[in-house]
Amino acid sequence: MSDQATHMTPDQTVLSRLSGVATSGVTTTVLVAALIFMPFLLGGSWTFTLGLCFANSIGVLAVSLLVRYGGEVSIGHTFFTALGAYSVGVLDVRYGISLWASVPLALLLGVTFGLLFAWPSRNLHGIYLAVTTLALALAVPEMINNFDALTGGYEGLYVSTPFIPGVSMGMQRYYVALVMLVIVCVAVARLRLSRQGMALLLAKTHPSAADAFGTRRVWARISIMGISGGIGALCGATLAFSGSTVSPGGFTFWQAIFLLVGSVVSFYGLSLPRVLIGGAFVTLVPQLLSASGAWIPVFYGLALLGMILLGHYMPRIRKAMAQKSEVA
Amino acid sequence: MDQTTNALRGEGIALSFGGIKVLKGLDVEFRAGEITGLIGPNGAGKTSLFNCLTGAYSPQQGTISYAGDRLNGLPPAARANKGIVRSFQHVALCPDLTVRENVMMGIARYGKAGWLSAFLPLPAGAREREEMARSADKALVDLGLPDVGDKFPAELPPGMQRLVEIARAVVGKPSVLMLDEPAAGLNNSETRDLTTVLRKLASTDLVLVVVEHDMDLVMSICDRIYVLNFGEFVAVGSPEEVRSNPDVIQIYLGSDDDE
Repeated sequence: MSDQATHMTPDQTVLSRLSGVATSGVTTTVLVAALIFMPFLLGGSWTFTLGLCFANSIGVLAVSLLVRYGGEVSIGHTFFTALGAYSVGVLDVRYGISLWASVPLALLLGVTFGLLFAWPSRNLHGIYLAVTTLALALAVPEMINNFDALTGGYEGLYVSTPFIPGVSMGMQRYYVALVMLVIVCVAVARLRLSRQGMALLLAKTHPSAADAFGTRRVWARISIMGISGGIGALCGATLAFSGSTVSPGGFTFWQAIFLLVGSVVSFYGLSLPRVLIGGAFVTLVPQLLSASGAWIPVFYGLALLGMILLGHYMPRIRKAMAQKSEVA
Repeated sequence: MDQTTNALRGEGIALSFGGIKVLKGLDVEFRAGEITGLIGPNGAGKTSLFNCLTGAYSPQQGTISYAGDRLNGLPPAARANKGIVRSFQHVALCPDLTVRENVMMGIARYGKAGWLSAFLPLPAGAREREEMARSADKALVDLGLPDVGDKFPAELPPGMQRLVEIARAVVGKPSVLMLDEPAAGLNNSETRDLTTVLRKLASTDLVLVVVEHDMDLVMSICDRIYVLNFGEFVAVGSPEEVRSNPDVIQIYLGSDDDE
């Protein structure tokens, strides 16, 4: 063991052991540093796409958090992303209020609706809860269209109020998304070390044990839905700002499925590198395949399969390579 | 203080699953300051009685009270907040938490730091975690596990995992501690350590109940023993009285004829 490891505090040791080499602090710092300089190396369209990628990564994180801390799957998180996106869009377009006010409101609404959804569904588990979330996803586009006076209906809303006056919108759309992603990842990492986070994990794996030590499983379910809903809304708020437009087409049932796919591809990871993999899959793969015409679904499926297999066999490949290098 | 004042009592506890009567109108009194053993063959209803007392099951009949307060209808979490905690027959540690964190869960219910501290670097949350970690480490040391705090449960042998679970149960200084087969899976040395710990734990304030198959352990530490068979008590008394009870010898400890 290195000196560095022996001098770690217990908390640092836990985080280090949980996250592994690929997601260590150094890797994350290097990654963030690289992303900070990325707009100076890439063109405007790539900067725009990466902004969307960061926003989608937050959505992937929201779904993964529900899986990791609640043991449940959502196929309706676009409800929360729509809530966040329209909070930003409506306040911006109708009232000229910037992200300073609309992002906290989006978070509050996401948490509130997460709690409201969790209460009646608190005793549903597995496929039953997943199907219930599906109802949310299916309802979203219709709800948006029915409130067209506010939401702009099919045409949607164009978000144009700058977050930081004087800085170009292109740069803002990129950096705001990156900062939001980093903040959310740090907050989720802190949750893991908190009393509440530990109680949620115990309630997920051993509800009876959690109950016996004062953590009610209903509290756990409602809490994790509230947190996940809040982060989902932050995803939507970031999407609205980075993508500049908010329309029902961005919050369909398929978008909800893509968020789940991103979560699966990232193996429900909650660290920055892992959620970025999920976000990149959701954002970049469809763009890269856009020239494939009718073959898009086929290639998308193959890419998904490839990612899953790679993730599955990577530990074995790494182990084999390590053994080979030892022998050499 | 009178030992019976802070007793955990059950009167006429009856529990059925379908048509099967698991507990048949049991009267129990687990007194503070005593170590009470609950023994009986497999399927006698020991864990079901535990589950009724801790709120995991709701008995169809009977009343349960602690220190005069009626507990019927209170969920397990509310009973835990009254200081009534338990360990489990099958180890129920969270694999995603380290050993130290698992033990910290035994005092999480006393935590005051709010949700903001869970997400933001506020001093209240850091202070609370530090204090909880210190208490957890002390409980681990008391149970003879000073160096395992940073490990995950899966890295420990089953005997140690059980000790960790006991550490989680005792760390919050409970008023009622119910241990379900605490010595299962422990080797001789670990069982000796456990015996020492249980004797140290026994205080005038604590109601300590142990369900156990290890007769040597039960006979050596318990002040009073309840013997349960087919949902009924067949004997209650001191270890000597239970040891010499012909019914107990016949149905549980084995008669001379069997040798």
